[in-house]
Amino acid sequence: MRIFSKTNFNFIGHRKIAYGISIVLLLSGFISFAIKGLNYGIDFRGGSEVVIRFEKDIDVSTVRGALDGAGVSGSLKQYGMDRSFLLSMVFKGDTGELKPLLDNALTSRIPGNRHEIVRIDAVGPSIAADLKWSAVKALIASLFAILLYVGFRFEIKFASAGVVAIFHDILSVLGLFSILGGLFEFMPLEMDQSIIAAFLTIAGYSITDTVVVYDRIRERIRGQKPSDYERIFNESMNQTLSRTVITSGTVLLSVLVLFIFAGPAIRGFAFAVFMGILVGTYSSIFVAAPLVFDWLRLSKSAVRLRGGQKNS
Amino acid sequence: MKNKRFNLFLIAVVTLVSIWSLIPTWQDYMYTKQLESFGTSRDSLSYAMSHRDDIENARKKSLKLGLDLKGGMHLVMEVDQVDLFEQKAWNKDAKFFSIMDLVRKNAAASDARVIDLIASEFRKENIPLSRYFYDIRNSDKEIIDKLQKESDDALSRAKEIIRNRIDQYGVAEPVITTQGSRKIIIELPGVSDENRVRNLLKGTAKLEFRLLREPEVLLRTLDRINTYLAQNGSTVTSLPVKADTTASPAPVSNAAAVPAVPAVPAAPAAPAAPAANVAGQSSKPLYDLVGINQYGVPVTTAQSRDFVSALFHRADIMALLPPDTELLISAKPDDYGSKTQKFYTIYLVRKTPELTGGVITEAKATFGSQGVQPEVLMSMNSEGTSKWARITGANIGKRVAIVLDGAVYSAPVVQSKIPNGNSVINGIESLEEAKDLEIVLKAGALPAPVRITEERTVGPSLGADYIRAGMLSLLWAFVAVSGFMLFYYKKAGIAADIALVLNILIVLSVLAGFNASLSLPGIAGIVLTIGMAVDANVLIYERVREELAEGKSIAGAVSQGYDRAFSSILDSHVTTLVAAFLLYTYGIGPIQGFAVTLMIGTSASLFTAIVVTREIFEGLLGKNQLNDKSFG
Repeated sequence: MRIFSKTNFNFIGHRKIAYGISIVLLLSGFISFAIKGLNYGIDFRGGSEVVIRFEKDIDVSTVRGALDGAGVSGSLKQYGMDRSFLLSMVFKGDTGELKPLLDNALTSRIPGNRHEIVRIDAVGPSIAADLKWSAVKALIASLFAILLYVGFRFEIKFASAGVVAIFHDILSVLGLFSILGGLFEFMPLEMDQSIIAAFLTIAGYSITDTVVVYDRIRERIRGQKPSDYERIFNESMNQTLSRTVITSGTVLLSVLVLFIFAGPAIRGFAFAVFMGILVGTYSSIFVAAPLVFDWLRLSKSAVRLRGGQKNS
Repeated sequence: MKNKRFNLFLIAVVTLVSIWSLIPTWQDYMYTKQLESFGTSRDSLSYAMSHRDDIENARKKSLKLGLDLKGGMHLVMEVDQVDLFEQKAWNKDAKFFSIMDLVRKNAAASDARVIDLIASEFRKENIPLSRYFYDIRNSDKEIIDKLQKESDDALSRAKEIIRNRIDQYGVAEPVITTQGSRKIIIELPGVSDENRVRNLLKGTAKLEFRLLREPEVLLRTLDRINTYLAQNGSTVTSLPVKADTTASPAPVSNAAAVPAVPAVPAAPAAPAAPAANVAGQSSKPLYDLVGINQYGVPVTTAQSRDFVSALFHRADIMALLPPDTELLISAKPDDYGSKTQKFYTIYLVRKTPELTGGVITEAKATFGSQGVQPEVLMSMNSEGTSKWARITGANIGKRVAIVLDGAVYSAPVVQSKIPNGNSVINGIESLEEAKDLEIVLKAGALPAPVRITEERTVGPSLGADYIRAGMLSLLWAFVAVSGFMLFYYKKAGIAADIALVLNILIVLSVLAGFNASLSLPGIAGIVLTIGMAVDANVLIYERVREELAEGKSIAGAVSQGYDRAFSSILDSHVTTLVAAFLLYTYGIGPIQGFAVTLMIGTSASLFTAIVVTREIFEGLLGKNQLNDKSFG
């Protein structure tokens, strides 16, 4: 079976449209980011979170009333699982008093519906600052390492365009997080450590996808005249299109499975990776390669490439 | 031909080793099931006893589950380096403390080394570090190096002491590591009594024996503080007592009590008006919080304790105390004959301890002479014994406070010289608490206070949910992806699916073999790997299809497909590995689990998708089982 047997899309010819779409996508994310900002999870803002699960169905307002009555301050909302609630509040260094306080309040005020405190997370402000900083370091370091590797294996133009594409993908997903943050009850889309993991996964995947297209271009461009570049770029992208779509498809399948089955703790991560792979697939065809093409066109130089097969 | 045989051999070895290292996990699972299947606990116990060695062995080598799947506590504790460096300094003056306060504020908000923060603050003030640290002849750089060494020592000592405490408390497989220059990460699987563990860990366990000052001096000092506060009234207004707590007992009042007159009528008089509202204007700001009871002993209530304690440690208040003294509050409340309220006693003690906990060699929790009051008996080493004999001999009739972490446990009157180095801590509420004290005293004092800065607790039931969710995701991802490969690539899809199974096996066995644990993010990493691992096969198969379309023979197409796809497979895998590796390097805890499985999975897929599938195709080609249709 084949999805694309012999395609002949003129990707390069339509690249301006693609640039436009990308700019709109990035701009809307940026505007939302400037106005609305991001929803930070406790990893990055510090604070305490408690997940409480009840034995029988219960209304969120009942639980809220019980906690308010006991003088527990904080916001309570439905958590992704059945009969579970997430209580978030400011950081308390000693959660030791918190648990008995909650236990007493809920047992006495909501009798006949047993509850269980299934998770307590408390992150102090200094840790939150650390986590933020190491997330930034990890992202910068990985982009730099990718730039070096691709620059070494291909050429600096290819590497730079690839890194631009990674930025494009990560910023797009970040923008989506800002736009959609807090809109859905089943996925709050908060920025936490797992989202950083998602960004690095997206970075890895985006460049993987891009490298496959580059590899085909590298294979075919050797010794060709710059006037043929447009044809070669288009043909290379059409030839790898099938692989690009299928691999994205299998990864999207497994991420979708994660989103559905792996529970609320993983949902934000799965959403980020899912979107990142969609955007990453798009960007390797519509951003990375066209940027290289434009760069080559403007600099009017022929490519000198390293790597690739000797026997081609 | 020789090369081919080597590949087959390699595949066989990898497969066998993977399966072999996962056998204990399987056994462990079967034993657990077996144990659960017994009707009575006695049956299961006897089965466990008779198979004890096998069970333990299987458990030890099996794939460990992470804290989030098993339930347990993850704690990050921070050594208070500012405090540590303060201890190391000498001739400390007000300037020194003000600089250190600034450093403390900066340190809370940044990840920089505390010693660098200190150095830069001192440089700003143009004060050489040698004014306060070590020798006057030392340069700043020497002092920084020395202090840094001190703090590294302190961190590793703190880690050892915490390990001792946890070992004595008894937690299976605790993981204690240090991170950076001031953090200790503690992972305690399956802990049920989190509160007790927390208390056990956070105390410094700094034990001191300090002489008490005379009661008259104490009362005079409190008077002086009261007068001072009345003159600078506004400073006490920020009472932490909430307005809505008026129903509960307000701080001890003494509307009728004149301080320094011991024979005040029975303890607390009528509760005062809400102290929070009047404290600012009160002419007796301190005595709104502190009362003198019928025995002439100054006391405070549970609500005011923290506030009063903080007040006593304010620099301006400490300046009002007699030289070399400190105001401390008792660790436990006393009812002083009142049936409704409990009070914390206030003590004025010498600042320089007579003796510290370093001399304690043995501690034992028992019940006291009446057999109801738990206490901890301690014995000292020879140096401590002789000192203790001298101190007690010289202070007969005086009181010695036993102070642990800045709170007074008891302050007995010295009846006679104690020659044998024994002492006792009483005023403990429960035997459990006495046992915990025994543990921390035996483990020794921490070199500096530690704080819990991060805590994540997962209950076992949530862990079970996570396992179920993780397993479901694994199963469905495998079914979906392998089903797709079969559907899309037909016969070649079978080879890719075999490679995929082997890939998952390798990931799990590497985790089990290296004693790493599997967490929920780790499972997410495996699920993601399932989707990504087939990428190499997709690249190859698509290439083979292209070669076939160009009219090559099946054998030629397979060989060309593998050769030509190789460079893009390598490049794309390396970039994924780079991202995963950096995630591992900079990530913490759960995220590292994800990065590890992603790394193992990606590396393994280089082997499974290229070497394994190729061998399968070579084998099939040899038997003429492969044709143009085999790649779908």
